[in-house]
Amino acid sequence: MSERLVPVVCPYCGVGCRLYIRSVDGYPVGIEYAKDIPGIANELGKLCPKGNAVIEYLLAKDRLKKPLKAKEQGKFVEISWSEAIREVAERLKDYAKDDPNQLMFFGSARTFNEPNYLIQKLARMLGTNNVDHCARLCHAPTVTGLKAIFGAGAMTNTYKDIEEANVIFIIGHNYAETHPVGFRYVLKAKERGAKIIVADPRFTRTAWFADIFLQHYPGTDIALINGLIHIIIKERLYDEKFVRERCVGFDEVVKAVEKFTPEFVEKVTGVPAELIIQAARTFATAGKGVITWAMGLTQHTHGTENVKLLGTLSAICGYQGKEGCGCSPMRGQNNVQGACDMAALPNVFPGYQAVTDPEKRKFFEEFWGVELNGEVGLTTIEAAYAAEKGKVKAYYIMGENPVISEANANHVVHVLQKLEFIVVQDIVPTPTMEFADIVLPAAAMLENEGSLTNTERRVQWSFQAINPPGEARPDWWILSEIGKAVGFDGQGPKGFDYTSPEDILREINACTPQYRGITPERLKENLAGIHWPCPSPDHPGTRVLYKDKFLTPDGKAHLVAVSEYKGPVELPDEEYPFLLTTMRYVGQYHTVTMTMRTQALRKRWPEPLAEIHPEDAAKLGIKDGDWVKIVTRRGEYPIKAKVTRTVKKGVIAVPWHWGANVLTNDALDPIAKIPETKACACKVIKITEEDARKLMDKLPQLIPKIEIVRG
Amino acid sequence: MARKTIFIDFSKCIECRACEVACEREHDGRSFISVFEWQEMAAMALNCRHCEKAPCVEVCPTNALYRDEDGAVLLAPQKCIGCLMCGIVCPFGIPELDLINKIMMKCDLCAHRRAEGKLPACVETCPTDALFYGDFNEIIRERRKKFTEKAIELAKTAERIKLTGV
Ligand code: SF4
Ligand code: SF4
Ligand code: SF4
Repeated sequence: MSERLVPVVCPYCGVGCRLYIRSVDGYPVGIEYAKDIPGIANELGKLCPKGNAVIEYLLAKDRLKKPLKAKEQGKFVEISWSEAIREVAERLKDYAKDDPNQLMFFGSARTFNEPNYLIQKLARMLGTNNVDHCARLCHAPTVTGLKAIFGAGAMTNTYKDIEEANVIFIIGHNYAETHPVGFRYVLKAKERGAKIIVADPRFTRTAWFADIFLQHYPGTDIALINGLIHIIIKERLYDEKFVRERCVGFDEVVKAVEKFTPEFVEKVTGVPAELIIQAARTFATAGKGVITWAMGLTQHTHGTENVKLLGTLSAICGYQGKEGCGCSPMRGQNNVQGACDMAALPNVFPGYQAVTDPEKRKFFEEFWGVELNGEVGLTTIEAAYAAEKGKVKAYYIMGENPVISEANANHVVHVLQKLEFIVVQDIVPTPTMEFADIVLPAAAMLENEGSLTNTERRVQWSFQAINPPGEARPDWWILSEIGKAVGFDGQGPKGFDYTSPEDILREINACTPQYRGITPERLKENLAGIHWPCPSPDHPGTRVLYKDKFLTPDGKAHLVAVSEYKGPVELPDEEYPFLLTTMRYVGQYHTVTMTMRTQALRKRWPEPLAEIHPEDAAKLGIKDGDWVKIVTRRGEYPIKAKVTRTVKKGVIAVPWHWGANVLTNDALDPIAKIPETKACACKVIKITEEDARKLMDKLPQLIPKIEIVRG
Repeated sequence: MARKTIFIDFSKCIECRACEVACEREHDGRSFISVFEWQEMAAMALNCRHCEKAPCVEVCPTNALYRDEDGAVLLAPQKCIGCLMCGIVCPFGIPELDLINKIMMKCDLCAHRRAEGKLPACVETCPTDALFYGDFNEIIRERRKKFTEKAIELAKTAERIKLTGV
């Protein structure tokens, strides 16, 4: 018997907490808190409930252990790895021969940097830029918005800066519930005397700690932020020196926010004018300020504009390039940042080098030794519509679950049924897997090793703690086998012949400027990780971005004005009188594939509850615990009601973990191509339990039973 | 004897229930700390207080409840007869009946972890430091020190402002 304590990174959210897995003979038996590693993201080894329960899902009875091939939808036969790899490679080659753009690849924010690098390399070497992942559904506007104004799309600071700030503005983000360990830094700042401003349509756990709470209607962020900028400019509270020396476009901003007087903003957002004034003054005069946001702000048709306005707000106050300041978009999954850095995105090569830039393309053509496509590929939602028209015919989905995670889920199901060939690579059966032609069993994150990049650009190495079940294999292994079988057998970067994730990271070092100095050796030695950019092996990494200049071509921040107020594209009307918004629970995670397989979490957060204001509930004759049906133009969803004053009148809030995306709107933000998941019109109808059960049977099964038949 | 226990700062609890999950993991699927929500909003975690004058220890007819060297109130399962007295006298209703073995169970301040020099699991994990483990007198002394530091800081700032004539 050999007992080991292995340092890993938590497989859940983007905070990137460290912990130890205790294992006996490759089998997990417990965890230990990482109290003895200085400088990690989760100070003193603190963990949230998900982090505390990481073992159970690994032991789930229905883990995938063998490659599967579909006989008909949802019915599979077991096949060998060599058959599976051969079949996938043949099919990919066939489609690529006709037209590589018939293929669509999904990277995964749930797995390491190395497989994400490989999947986009595979797509691009096959001749298509159709590769994307779920960051499209959460932080695409953050990337495009921040890039436009500061020159790069990542968090501009670190947790340390949140702790050191004097004011923290939290918008569209229930920080305490979605990232409890990150929220620790907010509370530490508050203890030091920092002021907390929270803007949210719900009175959340986070709002409980706010000094100023702005309860605006979902989707009215543009008006709210413009209102704050209006007051800061009117009262000359902005940082004149910083604006003069380091920003351009200020005059347009002054003009654009003209009409956003506190009175106008009050009318649109429902927040009292005095509160808006108070918030603006508090924010601008604090000296050091951080803005943090997440999906409540980005999942809108104007998500990119929202982010640009926040960047502008932070820049005019001079809160950039300094310690204790900055913009902190909070990532939901453990490697969203890394998957973006590795270019599981349709428009860039690793390190955000545009595919349309001939020079960058030339570099990668020489590096990988193939000719590359210079046209921007399809995003996830665009691919779905292209598939509907028959232009995209095959999906390769690594570690994603679009049936639950994408807006307007009914449409996604329709598309998956239409596709000719689907490969799903995952650790357990998901509703998406029911449509797969080939299923590839992957090792879970803790069962293999590699590097991950957390929300604050911190790259960390996670070690292998236990053995994968059955024949499950690491993602990097699967992709490199497929790459070789497709015929990419060149030497070094020109092929897919890898023996370890370290090999792959070294290749990433060579082609990604931000990661140049982040070598496997350094990461293994330094468990606290390194913040990119890290341009050379002796560089310590970068805590605060933009100290001297921004990354825009002229080095200045390009302030952005949005003079038109835009709300959600779908507003309540007579037929659909309520505004629907989605939310999360602290103990459930995204599409629940891992958390509903964890007893400790499932019993505490067993089911979704729709939050509704007592007055609305009284009008509809709904009591706490009654079954209701929520209906939108796209679908119906049965759920129990929770009557509570935490939501504003006229707003219904539903957790999306259990498949509520059959309701949400997939209207797109024109720039970032994110769907407007956070706000749409709905109606609420009281139903009986029996009706609810019937409706539920029509929804996708969250934990499907995959049927394995004999070949 | 320095008697250490877990203190709870309700104002910091975010109802994340990490403490419950941690406790459950360390105690075979059973959590001895519970988080309650009040009026839709405020949350508080509650576990055994390991009281100075513990009524459960006093009332136990078989001496199944006793104190260890750190002052934690522990239960010796082999002596427990499941008479439920401790549960009734505990002002917080902490000791619970194990329905299978018909004996009582309660928070042991993670005796197995303390033996290795570690903190109780719930304290170790609480992301907001709403839970902290320590000796009452030490904690009070620490708080006084913090307060004094703050006051001195404030006085210094006031002095600076006076000097610069702002
Ligand atoms: S906060 Fe995030 S990274 Fe940390 S333990 Fe919880 S889920 Fe894991
Ligand atoms: S871990 Fe801490 S913050 Fe979370 S519920 Fe328990 S006491 Fe409250
Ligand atoms: S001290 Fe241990 S047994 Fe007691 S509540 Fe905390 S985790 Fe549970």
